[in-house]
Amino acid sequence: MATLLATLPKHDQTTRCISAWAKKALDEARKKGFTVFELADKRACRREFESMVKKHKPAFVFLNGHGNAVAVGGNENKVLVQAGENENILKDTVTYALSCQSAKVLGEESVKAGARAYIGYKEDFIFLFDEEKRTRPEDDKLAGLFLEPSNQIAVSLIKGRTAHDSHLNGKKYFARNMQKMLTSQTSKADTTTLRYLYWNMSNLACHGDGNATV
Amino acid sequence: MKKFWKNFLNFKLSDFMEEYNKEIIDLVVARLQTLPEGVGVSIGSEGDYSKQELISHVEHRDAVGKKIIDAEMGFLRALKEGNFYGDLIGNLA
Repeated sequence: MATLLATLPKHDQTTRCISAWAKKALDEARKKGFTVFELADKRACRREFESMVKKHKPAFVFLNGHGNAVAVGGNENKVLVQAGENENILKDTVTYALSCQSAKVLGEESVKAGARAYIGYKEDFIFLFDEEKRTRPEDDKLAGLFLEPSNQIAVSLIKGRTAHDSHLNGKKYFARNMQKMLTSQTSKADTTTLRYLYWNMSNLACHGDGNATV
Repeated sequence: MKKFWKNFLNFKLSDFMEEYNKEIIDLVVARLQTLPEGVGVSIGSEGDYSKQELISHVEHRDAVGKKIIDAEMGFLRALKEGNFYGDLIGNLA
């Protein structure tokens, strides 16, 4: 059965929130029989990450953390993968990065270095959250409007869909949430999500072999 | 050579107009005012911000402010040009 490696840094509000929601997708992976390895908190560092990839050769790498055009970070934003340095660590994997901008350069460079596919965002991933749910981000329905579509990408891959289909499925869930905001009675906070749901949907990209599966 | 300078001048003017047009800043600030209180906005590695903090960044036209301007204006342009509903329906299909 396939192996999944996830990075789950939790050093600030954004990483706490995305990591808490990513765990829901990891639960789904376990249900589907995946062997799941989590690099949480301080373990989300380059040394551990490279060591785990080399040892377990995960088919699916799920990166959660801050990033930029050329790199994705882990704990305390220290670089895990960087174009021009160690992008070949993603060789033979399908990677989904819930991270800012990494589909701009790192995605393409990792594919050139042998990654099968790389799904990520070309610009910053922007989301709203409920200040009252700061300590319980997994219960934050406002953040969920953004992070459920993100999870759908991982869940689609886990269910055997191709990289291309999984990224389209993510876009579909962003669009579904926008449709909900437009067609049902929603709170003011929910309605103001439209602009950022559209932003994330528009910037979601897939590089490499669209037919790749995990 | 004339063409080069014309292009250069046009680029700089459009850049300037786009980034510092007061009408755009006012429009983005007005849109941000619609965000409810008690909601934080996470903008990647830049951090997370309250409504008032975001407005301040936009008014100061700094890196965070420019990102928010891009997102807000991208959305409004998509509405104006009809791409929003096309993208919405296209991705729902």
